[in-house]
Amino acid sequence: MKKVLVVDDAATVRMYHRKILNDAGFQVDEALNGLEALEKAFKDEYDLYIVDINMPKLDGYSFVDKLRNMESIKQSPVIVVSTESEEKDKEKAYEVGANFYIVKPVKPDELVKYAKIFTGVPL
Amino acid sequence: MPIRKREEEKIIEIKEERRKKERNFENLKEQLLSSSASERRWAARDLAQYKEASQILLERIKNEEDVSVIENILSSLSSIRDEVAVKGLIELLRSENAYLRNAVIETLKSMPEEVESYIEELIKSPESDLRIFAINIMESLRHPKVLKWLKEIIENDENVNVCSTALDLVAEVGTEDFLPSIEKIKEKFSDEPYVQFVADLAIRRINEGKNSP
Repeated sequence: MKKVLVVDDAATVRMYHRKILNDAGFQVDEALNGLEALEKAFKDEYDLYIVDINMPKLDGYSFVDKLRNMESIKQSPVIVVSTESEEKDKEKAYEVGANFYIVKPVKPDELVKYAKIFTGVPL
Repeated sequence: MPIRKREEEKIIEIKEERRKKERNFENLKEQLLSSSASERRWAARDLAQYKEASQILLERIKNEEDVSVIENILSSLSSIRDEVAVKGLIELLRSENAYLRNAVIETLKSMPEEVESYIEELIKSPESDLRIFAINIMESLRHPKVLKWLKEIIENDENVNVCSTALDLVAEVGTEDFLPSIEKIKEKFSDEPYVQFVADLAIRRINEGKNSP
């Protein structure tokens, strides 16, 4: 079973993503911010990171940037999910190494589709 | 104690002494622009004792890249917490720097009394991001108007992400009189699964009586 780390400071968003991904057959772990996500990434292996931008302690951009500098896991796919919909926000996410950018609110089909694509699960 | 260690301690003492001597406002202003992050950090920290320092701290933070200096500036602004500091911090919510933006939200949460009077303005901002940040800040307020503001947002705001963020908070603090507004927002955004999810969660929590008025 593919393992996904959902990183978002909003508990309801984490619950929502967890439900969608669980229903689609993914194992889901959660982190409240980028810092907690980094700690989890050091300890555990994830097939995919789904990351919000605006979070306390360590924002989504900084998390992806740091992840891309961690030798053992720098190839892990990252989907950024944010309320920020401007082109410059997406560009910044891709610049730091995100693989894909989804503007909130997330549609379940969309999340599952890209989670499968980036983890190699057949659609 | 080994001689080397004693010498090291003495050097630290001398440095500390020198730092204390240089703690006047004019010198600190200069040190805040130093090329050394360590000097800027100390200056930012020590400027907390000067009420008139808000503006220069705000000017510095806009161009500061060192996270530890940013943290010290925010801590000093939070300590000064005059009108200049609060207004300047609110302006920084528009920063392109995501780290700074989020750190500012956390700082504003730590000064609920000073922020209250600005919330009304923020939730009416034409920028949806600012309205979302205002709701994030509201989490920390224990102001009776929070419920009124949340109801206004979910009844009137047209942006789905602003309404979703408000509903997140309603799920935590909403009371029975929110139920008609939540039903309305479910209809308004009937094609948005996240709104349905968080609205149902809020209704369930309110009905279970978890959120008391």
